[in-house]
Amino acid sequence: MNEEKPHRKRDIFVEGAIPASFIAESIAKHATRTDIGGHEIFLGQVRADQQPGTENQQRTVAIEYTAYRDMANEQMTVIREEAFARWPQMTCLHVHHSQGVIKAGELCFMVFASAPHRQEAREAVAFVTDEVKKRLPIFGKEILSDDSHLWKHNS
Amino acid sequence: MRVLLFGMIAEKAGATEVEVTAPSTRALKRELEQHIPGLERMSYALAVDRRVVNDDVPLTGTEEIALLPPFAGG
Repeated sequence: MNEEKPHRKRDIFVEGAIPASFIAESIAKHATRTDIGGHEIFLGQVRADQQPGTENQQRTVAIEYTAYRDMANEQMTVIREEAFARWPQMTCLHVHHSQGVIKAGELCFMVFASAPHRQEAREAVAFVTDEVKKRLPIFGKEILSDDSHLWKHNS
Repeated sequence: MRVLLFGMIAEKAGATEVEVTAPSTRALKRELEQHIPGLERMSYALAVDRRVVNDDVPLTGTEEIALLPPFAGG
């Protein structure tokens, strides 16, 4: 789809959790692109981690995401261009990330690639997912069951 | 110059931005460490005009500066 080609400014952030219906609609939008042979989707979900260092084994009940939005979107443009350079057959790539409070069990991150053949879509999604985690200035405040909090960081 | 603060750094500072004057990124870090309790012990990156800068670079005062704690996207 033309609007999914690189070099355009776009905003990957959505307020709140990503609803399952949004993912279904994203899939449906590709029905007109009959050159696509496969979609690959990664969905990040907020996990109710047990926090070992805390009193009474607190659990994560939600993550509040904030971001340096302009820089994150610029970095995403760079990652997108790298992905299209590595997998030029890829038809389109969609990335969305939540801002705000996302409860355990809700979806906060989506990477969706489509290509004529599965290999490009699979590899591109794995690459983009890892690079977003490493390179986008997104911050996560883990809210625990006793209302205290910790700051999440990707390893 | 305006310095944007995020995540645990904003929490420690009690603000999402601070106003500081410094001629270079190294001087800026020293200045900010005076203002923000515990910053010198925190792991963070400094971004100048939305790019992470590791070396000491001169600043004119017109740049967009940000202090970035560890990333947690995904």
